[in-house]
Amino acid sequence: MAVFDTPQEAFGVLRPVCVQLTKVQTVENVERLQAQLQKVSAAALQQLQEYVLFPLRFTLKTPGPKRERLVQSVVECIRSILSETCVKKPDLLHELFSELCTCLSSPSGLKRPPAQSEEIKLAVIQALQALMHSAYGDILLSLYQPSTLPHLGFAVSLLLALAEQEKAKEIRTSALKCLQALLLQCDCQEYHRLLDKEEAQRCGDLFASFLPGISITLSRVITGDIKQSHMIAVSAIKLFYQTVGFIMADEQLRKIPEKKEKPGVEQSRIADLMVHRGPDWVQSTADKLSLLIHKIVESSSVHQHWKVRLELVELAHHLMLKSSQSLVASVGQLLKALVGLVNDDSPKVQSRSSEVLRSIAERKVITENRALADVLSENLHSLATALPRLMTSQDDQGKLSTLNILLGSLKLLGSKMNIVLNSTAHLHRLSKALMQVLELDVTDVKIVEERRQGELPASLQHGLQKGQAQKKYFRFFTDERIFPLLQQVCRVLGYYGNLYLLVDHFTGLYSESVAFRKQAALVLNELITGAAGLGVDVLHEREAAPSVDDLKGTITSILEEYTGQANWHLVTSMEEQEEPSDELAMPPSRLRALPESAHSSTLILSSAATSEPNPTIRSMNGNIWQICIQLEGVGCFTHALGKEFRVLLMSALYPVLEKAGDSTLLISQTATGTMVDICQACGYGSVQQLISENTDYLVNGISLSLRRVAHQPHASRVLETMLRHSDASLLPLVEDVIQDVLFTLDQSYDSRAASFLRVLHSLMAALARWFVLAKQSEQQQGAQTSPGATELPGAIPTAAATTTGQDVERFFLDYIKQKQIAEGDLPDTEEEEVFLPPAEEPQGNDTSAEGEAPLPAHAQVAKDVMERCIHLLSDKSLRVRLKVLDVLELGVTVLHPHNNHLLPMAHRAWPALVTRLINDDPLAVLRAFKVLCTLAEKCGDFLRQRFSKDVLPKLAGSLSSQAPVSARAGPVYSHTLAFKMQLAVLQGLGPLCEKLDMGEGDLNRVAGACLVYLSARQPVKLQEAARSVFLHLRRVDPDAPWLLLNGVCCPRQYPPPHASLRPVELSGMGRPRGELTDNVLHLLGELEQRERAMLWPRAQGAPEPRGPPPP
Amino acid sequence: MIAAMALPPPDPEFVLRGTAAPVHTLHFSCRGQEPEFPILFSGSANGLVQIWNLKTHRVDKTMDGHGGKSVYWVETIHGRDGLLSQGRDQKICLWDLAEGRNVVTDSISVDSVGFCRCSLLKVAQDRWLIAMPANDPDEVQVLELPSKTSVCTLKPEAGAKLGMPMCLKLWQPGFGACPFLMAGYEDGSVILWNLSMGKMLSRLACHQEPVMSLDFDSEKAKGVSGSSEKVLSVWSLDEQQNLKVHKTHELINSGISDVTIRQDRKILATAGWDYHIRIFGWKKVKPLAVLDYHTATVHCVAFSDHSRPSERLLAAGSNDQRISIWSLYNQT
Repeated sequence: MAVFDTPQEAFGVLRPVCVQLTKVQTVENVERLQAQLQKVSAAALQQLQEYVLFPLRFTLKTPGPKRERLVQSVVECIRSILSETCVKKPDLLHELFSELCTCLSSPSGLKRPPAQSEEIKLAVIQALQALMHSAYGDILLSLYQPSTLPHLGFAVSLLLALAEQEKAKEIRTSALKCLQALLLQCDCQEYHRLLDKEEAQRCGDLFASFLPGISITLSRVITGDIKQSHMIAVSAIKLFYQTVGFIMADEQLRKIPEKKEKPGVEQSRIADLMVHRGPDWVQSTADKLSLLIHKIVESSSVHQHWKVRLELVELAHHLMLKSSQSLVASVGQLLKALVGLVNDDSPKVQSRSSEVLRSIAERKVITENRALADVLSENLHSLATALPRLMTSQDDQGKLSTLNILLGSLKLLGSKMNIVLNSTAHLHRLSKALMQVLELDVTDVKIVEERRQGELPASLQHGLQKGQAQKKYFRFFTDERIFPLLQQVCRVLGYYGNLYLLVDHFTGLYSESVAFRKQAALVLNELITGAAGLGVDVLHEREAAPSVDDLKGTITSILEEYTGQANWHLVTSMEEQEEPSDELAMPPSRLRALPESAHSSTLILSSAATSEPNPTIRSMNGNIWQICIQLEGVGCFTHALGKEFRVLLMSALYPVLEKAGDSTLLISQTATGTMVDICQACGYGSVQQLISENTDYLVNGISLSLRRVAHQPHASRVLETMLRHSDASLLPLVEDVIQDVLFTLDQSYDSRAASFLRVLHSLMAALARWFVLAKQSEQQQGAQTSPGATELPGAIPTAAATTTGQDVERFFLDYIKQKQIAEGDLPDTEEEEVFLPPAEEPQGNDTSAEGEAPLPAHAQVAKDVMERCIHLLSDKSLRVRLKVLDVLELGVTVLHPHNNHLLPMAHRAWPALVTRLINDDPLAVLRAFKVLCTLAEKCGDFLRQRFSKDVLPKLAGSLSSQAPVSARAGPVYSHTLAFKMQLAVLQGLGPLCEKLDMGEGDLNRVAGACLVYLSARQPVKLQEAARSVFLHLRRVDPDAPWLLLNGVCCPRQYPPPHASLRPVELSGMGRPRGELTDNVLHLLGELEQRERAMLWPRAQGAPEPRGPPPP
Repeated sequence: MIAAMALPPPDPEFVLRGTAAPVHTLHFSCRGQEPEFPILFSGSANGLVQIWNLKTHRVDKTMDGHGGKSVYWVETIHGRDGLLSQGRDQKICLWDLAEGRNVVTDSISVDSVGFCRCSLLKVAQDRWLIAMPANDPDEVQVLELPSKTSVCTLKPEAGAKLGMPMCLKLWQPGFGACPFLMAGYEDGSVILWNLSMGKMLSRLACHQEPVMSLDFDSEKAKGVSGSSEKVLSVWSLDEQQNLKVHKTHELINSGISDVTIRQDRKILATAGWDYHIRIFGWKKVKPLAVLDYHTATVHCVAFSDHSRPSERLLAAGSNDQRISIWSLYNQT
């Protein structure tokens, strides 16, 4: 663009336009000059600078009113020249400076902004800006002399007025920019000469006069209209801190002499304007500034735009960096702002403020500077005092910021906080505040109600899951961000604070009052976590971490407190208080109304308890929470100590396991989480490993607890938990203690059986899981390879792949043989098929010899347990009886493979079981029937005789007598116990008959009783169950059910294959359609189908599809 | 102590499981290690000597040196660096335990097949005497360790019909003084032997049945012995070196397999065949407590040698394969 490189050429080009402009001052001429200037290179223009400026300045200086348009273009032209060149003469600088300023002067003084158009204002501001940047080297400093103070003052106030009162955003921002340049704080890209200390000092003196105006105006700008652009606020804040930081710089103020220097006579007037930055001035200015800073912080820290908040961080940083001593009164404010912004929504603000805080902390400004530390301690104390009040009165947002400030102060104080903590009053207030804030909300009834259901919480079996703290609800806040903040506060306390002092204090509170106990435990947990340096976010490292031994000692003492009798064994449910006999008094209607489930008894109790008005629900809830918090504490402690915690497992593991077996859901969940924590911290791969490697400690605890009546339930819970979480390898380790349990049970059958039954139940369940289920799955695999292996010897294989004539032949041979046997004509050979399974055969001959054979440990245990069960079967408490039946059932399952032990046991248990079946509460009957089914499945026909004699008549009778009731009943009937009884019996009878291989008479009786239930009037479920009975009966004897059903209803004719045979007549033929018809037809169809499937290959050859002819 | 009597008997502090065999002998070593690291040695019927860490309550080391034959006496030597163990394989093994080693460095063969436990006495720096049953069924042999030279053989006069020695206790009235031996015999008598002269000083027939165990308090010149009868016998030694019955205490059930006086001479513990451990005050032999935990015969009782009295423990080993540890009467 620049075509004229030499001054001569340039001069040639510019001269005419300059002359023209001097003569006629019009906008056109100015624009022409502007146009020509474009063609001149910067170097050439520098040579001609004054020449070119002359006409322009002349234009401005011409007296009389000027058109604004002209002034504007002239100023713009000056700006473009100045931005290309530099001013080398101080005079020129001075003159240009004042000429430009006067362009905006208004006749009415400074108070109001000049009335010119916005364009002119902008042009002038930009020209001034350009002038500031074009001053060459030291020349600029000539502007900053005491003599020029009035000029500067004028410019400053002008620009401030523009920045504050204009509407256009551009003018305001450029005015602020210009002001920045004018106050030598420009941060633009161009080169700026750095001031040496001397010069800075002089400039500081000079600017001090402007400080009040600048600071007040800027603070007004910053705190002004919230709708203004954030850019303005950002620039204003920046200018504010730069200016204040410059004038109030500690470095400069340190050098100010006490006394004002005697000014020279000639300068006296100007010198009066100058400010002496002596201590008094500093003090009063700082006081005023602190008000302004307070205002700025107040408004900016909640500004919507993050850049403003970020700038506030910078403000705090800059001022703390430059003038922490002079502005000591504001440091609290600034810190508060910084600390408050640490948890800002914007990540940039967050990171910057924490960075700044860290840098402040690192420079040890706080710790070396007594004044600051004092300020912080003072802050901390006032905060602690006000905290309880604030926490109850503030909303969550307010609490959040208050806590942020508390946390920040603690972090900044670091180890210095001990000065505060060592004062009893301070510590007392702080702890009181924490106690109040952390008060839990204990009104939730659900916590108390929720029971642990089922034997195996699913989460436990799969690997390790991070133990998560239970979500807590607090009385005084709901915001989820507050609790983590409080945790941080406690952890920071633990990190820097004197651990002994703090732990002692909070342990004192813990034992002092029930009201503080939960909170104190929460605080203690976090203190330890913090002391171990875990999960704590700090600004600088502490000097000395507590040694592992110290930590261990502290933790041991806290653990002792936690697991002490008074704090660990709290009442958490009504069950614990109730006597077992109480439930007998309960009305049967309540029992009936409840759904049958494995844990119905617990449900009954808890619902009964809660339905009554109970004043202690709240306290129980509180107790539950206290236990949970203590359990979480154990988790915290393990993490704090890591593998070192292993030594403490001796005393700590037992209580945790005890709680893992607790029936309150929340507690058992928390305890399980704690176990997982322990695994992680102590390096165990799984809960199972944790238990198996520490069995000795647990067994010791159990065995000692069993000696004390009050501790027996706890011991059994621990054992339960161990069993639940382990596998078969545990058995040898606990065998010894199982004997202890049985021994203790033997001594107290009447009173404490209930608490032991739980553990017996889980023991048997565990044994069944370890030894039976595992084996069964193996067997199932085996069974897949040889189908039909489990069939009874007399039955026809259902899925025979090939059925040939030989099969038919064999069938008939079998049939004949059976018949012979039935008639007492026994075959001689021993290998003949006998109903008894081979395993049982020697049983009759040498029971004594076999009985001596050593049983595997688990079977021996099962046997021992079952023996106790037999005694307890007739306990007077229904709950005990129900539980015993469960245990018995499991025992049968476990002992099953050892028939020569199982059968005598079954024999002994039989009378008591029969009593349960015939003459007991319906619940017990139901359960007993289940046991019977299992027993039948395992013992087979050993029970046949007893069953058909003792039980069957009664069952059949009750089925028959109940049938009319259920046939008439409405839909609600299916929720009654009677229905469940019917259903269970119908569902169980089929398999029972099959397993016991019942005789013909009994089968008939069963079939007869079930036939009624085929009625379409019966509930659908009962019909289905009844049908299944017939299908099972078919397996024992295919013909009897067929005949019976055909007797009710016969859908088809059976023409004789030969004329010589009599036609078959069945009583059901030609019957009208009745209530039974549907099910009978359905059954017959199914029977036929199965038969056909079985005999399919024979179907074509055989004239009659049904096997044997009817008699 | 009177106040303590009113309280129900305490539970064991803890119970050590894992010997997998009846426990026949126990010996504490809790003193003189910095930091304090208390351990307990146990010898059991399966021939194993186990070292229990009393901080973790677990076995630190298991040592097998008696070929599966029951170990019925263990005693430390050289502080904790050495251990003597006597087994039914007719051997006394000397173990080197220094610096984590556990090897048998030496062994003494015992010809006797009885149940008599040995007794060890430190007579000088690095010089011990050990009394053990000798070749002849009724003799006691005293050796000097570590040289294994025989000091004397104590043979009763012909026709004394003492039977085999059942229990031994070496003692000396003061350090450096002439050592004596108390020995209990199968016929129920306790005999005081002078070792330097190798001669019997006094004989007291205090039991009808074999003396199972004895302990002697050289300061009060008083000893106690238990036998398979129902009697606990306390006897004293007068200036003329004569043993006299001081007192007898009737027990409810018969059979005492071990008696031990605590180092501070305040209490005495007995291990009973009736599964109970009994505690007596030593001064008047007043029964203080009956500790009921074991479910089989208690074979041995031992008091710990903790330097702080408040930490002192009592251990009892039983046929039920457990070692119970008790903390009692130590708030003096």
